[in-house]
Amino acid sequence: MMTALMIAIVVLGGSAGDVFITKGMKQVGEISTVHPRKLIAIAGRVLTNVNFLIGVFFMACSFFAFLAVLSWADLSFVLPATSLSFVITTLGAKFVLNEEITRLRLAGTVLVCLGVALISLP
Amino acid sequence: MKTATVLIIAIVAQAMGNVYLTKAMKSVTSGGGDVLGTAMRAASDPMVWLGTALLIVFFALYSAALSWADLSFVLPATAFGYVLNVAAGHYFLNETVTPARWAGSVVITLGVFLVSRSGARTGTQAASLRSGASEISR
Repeated sequence: MMTALMIAIVVLGGSAGDVFITKGMKQVGEISTVHPRKLIAIAGRVLTNVNFLIGVFFMACSFFAFLAVLSWADLSFVLPATSLSFVITTLGAKFVLNEEITRLRLAGTVLVCLGVALISLP
Repeated sequence: MKTATVLIIAIVAQAMGNVYLTKAMKSVTSGGGDVLGTAMRAASDPMVWLGTALLIVFFALYSAALSWADLSFVLPATAFGYVLNVAAGHYFLNETVTPARWAGSVVITLGVFLVSRSGARTGTQAASLRSGASEISR
């Protein structure tokens, strides 16, 4: 039960983190320069963007839950379970960020999820 | 093209970062000892810093790509990093790669290929940008 709860925090925290970071980066706007001084200015805007910081916070929660669950559960069980985050994040992208998930993209994402689960088996 | 370039550099940086960190942490912990001692040895190992710096490069480029591309594109696309990690583990760290891992790598590659065919931007934002032209070409 505790393991399931922690894995849920790992997956949902990671997905929420990705969604908030995307929100923040879209607010900052498309980065289309390689000029060092402009990049530093952009970095300043990114690091003070509330959505970006909330995203980083969620990712940190996800990471610490991952470390915690590894202290009692097997990595070979936890890692395949976290491959679920690909599907959860895609749902977040669709319903929170209003991205259009075409059939092609959905099929590819499901394959990636399966492949990641296969790779992380012992 | 821009998205592909940025993501490829990001993925390579991530795979190299993981290899350096693995190498460094294996040698740091090989001496045994307490947690504090291990942490001190890790903090004074240049390879730990190199690995960490490469992972920061990955995260910066990943975030940059998200400033213009869909999350539902960038996330599965970066999953190709898993394949690079398996290959890097095999060639640089002499890890044994099971048939299931090679099979997983093939499945991921196939999935990333499909996702890459779906275009980097399909969101409402992009839809409003290319409203006229794409309607005609369709």
